[in-house]
Amino acid sequence: MEDREPEVVFKKETVGKLLSLFFKDDKTKVSGDAVLLMAEMLKIFVQEAARRAAKQADTEDSGTVDIDHFEKILPQLLLDF
Amino acid sequence: MGDEFSHSQRLKAAIHFTVARCCEEVGQDCEKNFSKLAIAAISETTFKQCDIFAKDLEAFARHAKRTTVTVEDVKLAARRSASLANYIVQKSEELTSNTKEQKERRKKLTGKRKSGDSLPAAAAEGDDSSMAGDQNALG
Repeated sequence: MEDREPEVVFKKETVGKLLSLFFKDDKTKVSGDAVLLMAEMLKIFVQEAARRAAKQADTEDSGTVDIDHFEKILPQLLLDF
Repeated sequence: MGDEFSHSQRLKAAIHFTVARCCEEVGQDCEKNFSKLAIAAISETTFKQCDIFAKDLEAFARHAKRTTVTVEDVKLAARRSASLANYIVQKSEELTSNTKEQKERRKKLTGKRKSGDSLPAAAAEGDDSSMAGDQNALG
């Protein structure tokens, strides 16, 4: 029906605003390439979280990925990033 | 204060939207459904992780006596896992080659506009390389 984008990515604008929201110093700026690279990194983070949670659901023989599956993979996920 | 609150809420909503689409994609791939709570938890974790990344990047940039976060800082932030670091380095090389091309294109345009008093060499070089490219294509 509609032309779906082949890949889900964070918008450059969103990532830029997110980063500047978290900076302690207002003077800190981000270069354009760095924003794009951060968008890529966040995408990897989300994909990794989703895939690990799906794998955990699979080992527990569950059709839906629930919050407790995600909770189980969360510590290792945070150690890897 | 209230304005700032809604600003961060909006960004959270934007993250939630992208995370939901990403989960849908992964779910189709693994033949699983993601519960709403799981998606919300992944979104919240991503938001917090972004906070950590931003503080790291700021600290890295300051350590290098810069106020602008560059690609090098992002590479440092991805140092914990070897495969992630390799992927990020590869992506950054793609990005820098893309921006170089854009800059060269812009240079050519401004060179033509200024009727070539400041950048005649660069413009000529660009023409040469494009001609060389044509010859290669012909050969």
